Amino acid sequence: MNWYPIFYREMILFSRKLLRFGYLFSALVVPVIYLITFGLGLGRNVQIEGMDYITFLIPGLIAMSSMNNSYTWVASALNLNRIYFKTFQVFVQAPISPCSIMIGKVFAGVVKGLFASFLIIIVGLILSKQPFITPLSIVALFLNCFMFSSLGVIVGMVTKTHEDTSTYNNFLIMPMAFFSGTFFPIDRMPLLLKSVIYVFPLTHTNILIRKSSFDMEAFISLFVIVSFATVFFLIGSRLIRNYSE
Amino acid sequence: MTMDNDNAISIVGLTKTYGNDSKKVIALNDINLDVEKGTVFGLLGPNGAGKTTMIKILTTLSKPDKGTCKVGGFDVVSNPLMVKKMIGVVPQENNLDRELTAYQNMLIYGMLHKVTDLDTKISKLLQLVGLDDKKNTVVSHFSGGMQRRLLIARALLSDPSLLFLDEPTIGLDPQIRRQFWDIIRKIKKDGSTVILTTHYIEEAEALCDKVGILSKGRLVAVDTPNNLKILVGQYVVNVIDSDGRLTQYMFKTKEEAQAKALEFSDGVTIRRSNLEDVFVKLTGERIE
Repeated sequence: MNWYPIFYREMILFSRKLLRFGYLFSALVVPVIYLITFGLGLGRNVQIEGMDYITFLIPGLIAMSSMNNSYTWVASALNLNRIYFKTFQVFVQAPISPCSIMIGKVFAGVVKGLFASFLIIIVGLILSKQPFITPLSIVALFLNCFMFSSLGVIVGMVTKTHEDTSTYNNFLIMPMAFFSGTFFPIDRMPLLLKSVIYVFPLTHTNILIRKSSFDMEAFISLFVIVSFATVFFLIGSRLIRNYSE
Repeated sequence: MTMDNDNAISIVGLTKTYGNDSKKVIALNDINLDVEKGTVFGLLGPNGAGKTTMIKILTTLSKPDKGTCKVGGFDVVSNPLMVKKMIGVVPQENNLDRELTAYQNMLIYGMLHKVTDLDTKISKLLQLVGLDDKKNTVVSHFSGGMQRRLLIARALLSDPSLLFLDEPTIGLDPQIRRQFWDIIRKIKKDGSTVILTTHYIEEAEALCDKVGILSKGRLVAVDTPNNLKILVGQYVVNVIDSDGRLTQYMFKTKEEAQAKALEFSDGVTIRRSNLEDVFVKLTGERIE
């Protein structure tokens, strides 16, 4: 497995982005807007699942932000590098396995997703009076980044133009961000919608990230996330293996 | 077609099409070719002839529809990893990381190919292509010519036994192009095989031991440049009429050419044929 050069390349490019004000701003601005409008707007007096609304909301925003950042950076960069800049071809022609390319890309996406999450955690620690990070949240966060980075590889490989990636964003990522228990508990949704929501992988991250103890529900959600992550990873690897121009 | 150990490349019945049934484009049509180890082989053809498709298949970037391709004795479809260990590629389209420096581009490539003593090799190669003082410059600040030079240096980093060069000297000034020719000659002297596509006839004549002529996806001729010229005629009589139109006649001997030239009172010149003439004669097209 020689995945490190691909990961290292992504990290060089990522460190360059970090130096630009725009990146940090864009990683923070959307979750913070949600935090202000929903969190402060609904007030600290609203109680959900035995906690104040901000403490309920912050883990959801962390999950959403980790999804957005790991997915978007991988899908968008891969699509651009494959179709326009042709840098992806250097990896395909290198003596490394398709799985190595996949691991390098996915781990880079994980780092990007975790970094964006870290920013929200800092904001959350300032705004929330109750603890919202547990060992299970860390596991959920890592798996969420892994899962959505893998999905990012799939979308980056199958889209024929860069514009197509925004179609996937609008029809897949955006609904997931709003309906997967990020802003409101899933229990309050209508039954029919609830059954659809439970198919979304982000729903299970939101369940797991808010768990303080490992119960049956946590086990099921962990199983679903690991299953999605494995399937996405295998499909992504296969797409790279079958790549042909 | 034989597939013995003397061949760096063996292609049998290679066919590649693009598009669907209603709009199918045949990029390569039943190509058969052997390229001997340690030689420089040139692929000549106009845009759309199939040169780049052939390079992409041989370098594992594209998969053939039919036929078999062996590079260094390994099948490009069933054993791509072994093929990738042997090859270096200068693609037609620039695939450098524009946001990385020249050094970082070389470093990542070297790591991918597990090159040992990487720093020393990078320094040597950047010096070879005249970019050692720009190693820490981001590639997006490079001119087109500098980027091509970096692509060449990068392809040589893993000491490939097979080097694929798809229009490597586009955008290079004549002096750098000749330096590049010297590099190719040295690579050949060291025992490597070079597959070259080019629009520059003088480049093909200066470098290639053998030339394949591709036209509309078909390989119409393969031989040494000299034999190809003998095949179509080594002497060309150019006649420019009073309207400025050029007519060419090709002859096997100088005497035949001189006899033809005597038929015209003025506007006649006799010259040696080149690969462009061979190409025009065999395909009816021009290399542009």
